[in-house]
Amino acid sequence: MLSSLSASPILTIPVASSSLAPRRAGFRSRLIVTNSATAYKERSSAQGMAATATVCGSLYEVLRIPVGATNQEIKSAYRRLARTFHPDVAAVGRKDSSADEFMKIHAAYCTLSDPEKRAVYDSDLFKRRLNRQRPLTAAGFSGYTGRNWETDQCW
Amino acid sequence: MAEQQYTVASDSETTGEEKSSSTYPDIAIGVDIGTSQCSVAVWNGSQVELLKNTRNQKLMLSYVTFKDETPSGGISNQLNHEYEMLSGSTIFNMKRLIGRVDTDPVVHASKKLPFLVQTLNIGVRPFIAALVNNAWRSTTPEEVLAIFLVELRAMAELQLKRPIRNVVLTVPVSFSRFQLTRIERACAMAGLHVLRLMPEPTAVALLYAQQQQQTVHENMGSGSEKNALIFNMGAGYTDVAVTATAGGVSQIKALAGAAVGGEDILQNMMGHLLPDSEGLLLSHGIKDIRRMGMLRVATQDAIHRLSFQTSVKVDVDLGNGTNICRTINWEEFEEVNLKVFEKCESLIRQCLHDAKVDIEDLTDVVLVGGCSSIPKLRTLVKDVCKKQELYQGMNPLEAAVAGAALEGAVASGVSDPFGNLDLLTIQATPLAIGVRADGKEFVPIIPRNTTMPARRELSFTTTHANQTEALILIYEGEGTKVEENHLLGYFKLVGIPPAPQGVPEINICMDIDASHVLRVFAGVMMPGSEHPVAPFMEVRMPTVDDGHGWCAEVLHRAYGSTLDLVTVHKK
Repeated sequence: MLSSLSASPILTIPVASSSLAPRRAGFRSRLIVTNSATAYKERSSAQGMAATATVCGSLYEVLRIPVGATNQEIKSAYRRLARTFHPDVAAVGRKDSSADEFMKIHAAYCTLSDPEKRAVYDSDLFKRRLNRQRPLTAAGFSGYTGRNWETDQCW
Repeated sequence: MAEQQYTVASDSETTGEEKSSSTYPDIAIGVDIGTSQCSVAVWNGSQVELLKNTRNQKLMLSYVTFKDETPSGGISNQLNHEYEMLSGSTIFNMKRLIGRVDTDPVVHASKKLPFLVQTLNIGVRPFIAALVNNAWRSTTPEEVLAIFLVELRAMAELQLKRPIRNVVLTVPVSFSRFQLTRIERACAMAGLHVLRLMPEPTAVALLYAQQQQQTVHENMGSGSEKNALIFNMGAGYTDVAVTATAGGVSQIKALAGAAVGGEDILQNMMGHLLPDSEGLLLSHGIKDIRRMGMLRVATQDAIHRLSFQTSVKVDVDLGNGTNICRTINWEEFEEVNLKVFEKCESLIRQCLHDAKVDIEDLTDVVLVGGCSSIPKLRTLVKDVCKKQELYQGMNPLEAAVAGAALEGAVASGVSDPFGNLDLLTIQATPLAIGVRADGKEFVPIIPRNTTMPARRELSFTTTHANQTEALILIYEGEGTKVEENHLLGYFKLVGIPPAPQGVPEINICMDIDASHVLRVFAGVMMPGSEHPVAPFMEVRMPTVDDGHGWCAEVLHRAYGSTLDLVTVHKK
């Protein structure tokens, strides 16, 4: 089970983000890995579309929008995705994975819908793309250790 | 009386959701148990319909009368006269009492009610009793609510001709998770399974979202976003929500609430009409209860009439030579209730501030609840929100239950061909959840108004050298000190390796999952180690039992600060 999972791209973010903060790897990686493990199980059976969210790197990709999207587009995308991934509307067996998915979508929305946070994020994204040739997984956030999708959440 | 007695089922039955997908559509009903009135509604396949009792009432009084050991509630019972409810044998206002301990100011205010509420001020459940045949029969708010819910369920089953199990219940914003467990317990005693507990203004927000969806006919996820402020003031509680709505999705941006309501207005007015009434109200002698009932009815009537006239005459003979005969006008009424209205205003301002929404960006202001016809409240809400008009589209007394019924249909997986159920409420946490650290400070881990589901963590460390254990006390509330907040539970983290003060890193993570269940994780990391040094703890909250408000104090007395935590300030 685990070996088949580690080969899958779905684990990229959880593993990478916990390696950012090894001291806190303890329960966080457990939480995330187990959740995505269940996510994987269900997705491989039926939910093909859910898989796309997890392999994404940038917040724009999380919201499935182009980098230059307008504020209106960001809001619409967030709502559209909420209607698919929010646990209240997700299928019964998929609630836990959809909760993780929704938290990521919400975190992306929070950063991108706030002009100031978005500006900081954009300039950072730009820098990373210049340094580049590394794939845009969370591992690419190495110059960026203070923040990850969890600390980026707002309310 | 062929009334069914209430059944006791396990209150930890939380896995009922799977069952609902079986043969017939078990659409959850929406229930709004108000401090004063209650209503039930259900999605009937095309719209929300409020259910009526045998006396054709959609709004039923929330009370239970204890007579000769056979209690009967406001759903089925016919009161001969208003005074019957005030004779001491009837328990009402249970929503103000449920899940509260006897140090709570709201419990203290309830001592002026005709039935018996006694407090010892030690943080246990108050003593509540009804007068039956000149003797006090003790009961609990959960029991009263359960008896009431059994009647309510029987009424719904009779009308819908099917068994009812799943309910969506509206609750005040200011209820702690501990209070919510008491509500769930009462439901379980009545054989009902709580599918969702919705803060009242968020149920109204859902109804608003549906109405916007219907009027605009816009496509999913598109269309302009509308910000609405929802103000709901009932007999027991005042709640505010700011929501951003578009395409049937209602994102709750902020919530605010307090245990302030029509009951406070009524008590203020009773005190105003009869300044030395305190002793009368607290005595609970048989004659005093009757006189107090007369005062209460006369005052209630005066407040009601003040909604339509600028001044009213109160003329009531309480016997014993006490005669009240005077005229009350709006100015007097507003002055007596100044604090209540100030609280309303501050709740609105706080909610707008937390939502980061400017008053100019509010599309609609919705005023609902039993107090919504009070002229002063209407002008206050309009003035604070700088609006000429309030939102017109909903019945202020039925909005919350209609929203709950919509949520019941959505949560039961019902779909509507016309898209009337393509709705989603994205909820936010009404209260902050955190731990005790840095002395008696409340350190929030999941702040108030965090979108749910949510997961947050914070790092703490030891307060003493070689501290091998830490006491994790979980609180919920708005205060900066733990005493101001509700204790949800506590557990001990053991096996911290002996080290100088401040070296071990104690990580506390809180997770609110898809079913809104709160779990707390705690683990210890030592410098240089990749993994937690001891097995981490995972505890589902709340863990405290009823009436354990004294617990925090006893723990403090027993352990002092030996097991305390301090926050780690990361750069």
